[in-house]
Amino acid sequence: MSRNAQDDAENDGGIVNRFSDDISGSDDIAGQWSAADATQKAFLNILEDSNEEKGRLGAVQSAVLNILEDFDTERKNVEQANAVLRHEVAERTRAEAALRRANAATAAANKELEAFSYSVAHDLRAPLRSIDGFSQALVEDCADNLPAEGRTYIGHLRESAQHMARLIDGLLSLSRLGRTEISRSRMDLVPIVRAIFARFRREQPGRSVELIVPAEVIAIADVRMMEVLFENLLENAWKFTSKRPHARIEFGQVLRDGHLVCYFRDNGAGFDMEYAGKLFAVFQRLHTTSEFEGTGIGLANVERIVHRHGGRIWGEGEVDRGATFYFTLEEGT
Amino acid sequence: MTSRIILLVEDNPSDEALTLRAFTKSGIRNEVVVTRDGAEALDYVFCTGAFADRNILDMPAVVLMDLNLPKLSGLEALKRIRDNPATKSLPVVILTSSDEEEDRLKGYEFGANSFVRKPVEFDRFVAAVQQLGLYWLILNEPSPARNGTSLPHET
Repeated sequence: MSRNAQDDAENDGGIVNRFSDDISGSDDIAGQWSAADATQKAFLNILEDSNEEKGRLGAVQSAVLNILEDFDTERKNVEQANAVLRHEVAERTRAEAALRRANAATAAANKELEAFSYSVAHDLRAPLRSIDGFSQALVEDCADNLPAEGRTYIGHLRESAQHMARLIDGLLSLSRLGRTEISRSRMDLVPIVRAIFARFRREQPGRSVELIVPAEVIAIADVRMMEVLFENLLENAWKFTSKRPHARIEFGQVLRDGHLVCYFRDNGAGFDMEYAGKLFAVFQRLHTTSEFEGTGIGLANVERIVHRHGGRIWGEGEVDRGATFYFTLEEGT
Repeated sequence: MTSRIILLVEDNPSDEALTLRAFTKSGIRNEVVVTRDGAEALDYVFCTGAFADRNILDMPAVVLMDLNLPKLSGLEALKRIRDNPATKSLPVVILTSSDEEEDRLKGYEFGANSFVRKPVEFDRFVAAVQQLGLYWLILNEPSPARNGTSLPHET
């Protein structure tokens, strides 16, 4: 660009020479000025270019510095993270050791519990069988020496022995439900309810009990535990509707607070909501034995099964207006 | 000739008396031999110890075996019976208070022919014993391969 400017100046000078020789001296000066000016411009341009280059270099240098600085920060971060990680690994190793110890303790406790319930199952039942059996032998073989009063007492003896056997069985099933592994699969709960209901009906054909169920209720649950759950719920409903000429038992699903909730309803004796908190406690009964026979373990079993599934259970009722049990079988419902 | 002897392996005298009573009440008149632990039961089955003079060909029609026994448990006794070719098809019914899954599992794994839980209620116990007697003493035909020979049996 600067060279073009100089050429232009020389060409201009040529034309001026041809037409006016007199002022050729001043012509020369003008040419030199313009050449100098062009050179200066060229220098300035070069300087400007080199300045730009310097600026660029500076930028590169500071970028490199920045990268180095970043690298240093990064290295520090990595070192810090490594330290944290080392600490975490140590912590985890400690925690794992603690967990292993806790697991071993749990396994030992479970083993002991198993031995205990085995002993309960085997050893506590034998004497009861003896009490019941020999009481009856007394009635059969020594009836002549036994007044009516004596026979009544023996009746109480036998009843108590049998009741205790049921309590032992209930406790055993409760401890078994706590111990067995849960294995979930997808199933329809309605056929399970129907099958258990059919069995109850076969055992007591004299009663008028209506079962109301929907087409299907799908759940992902442990099938054996579901059988125990509905066995207990149905036994409960069956028992507490025993004084109704027409009993109604209903199983279904409703939407509560955005969650599908199963319910089990009967039109039986119901209960006072004041005691709703005691419904599921072991050995807790809300009716006297003379009103309704029971062990107080059935609903405890039901609650344990629901809890093993991560669900929730609650009861709603009114005296003489029936009871409804609501439950879920999934975590976080 | 096989007799129709019932071998009862039971350590609890009350349970023994009740079982014998249940047999009588069910009209089962067969001879019942009672042994009180697993080792004694094996002595009877293999004609050793106190039973050395017994005729080995005269096998019981059925062994009613309790599980929780002194010295040798019911399961251990069962295992020895199954391990011996002469007795591997001898009918053994586990008759116990337990209904623990583990016991049932092991009982069948060790080759029990049946597993019956003794009910606490005496009437139901009598009914259970009656059905056991009916099945194992009358209905069931023992294996002819027992003792290596085909033996006729009384009916």
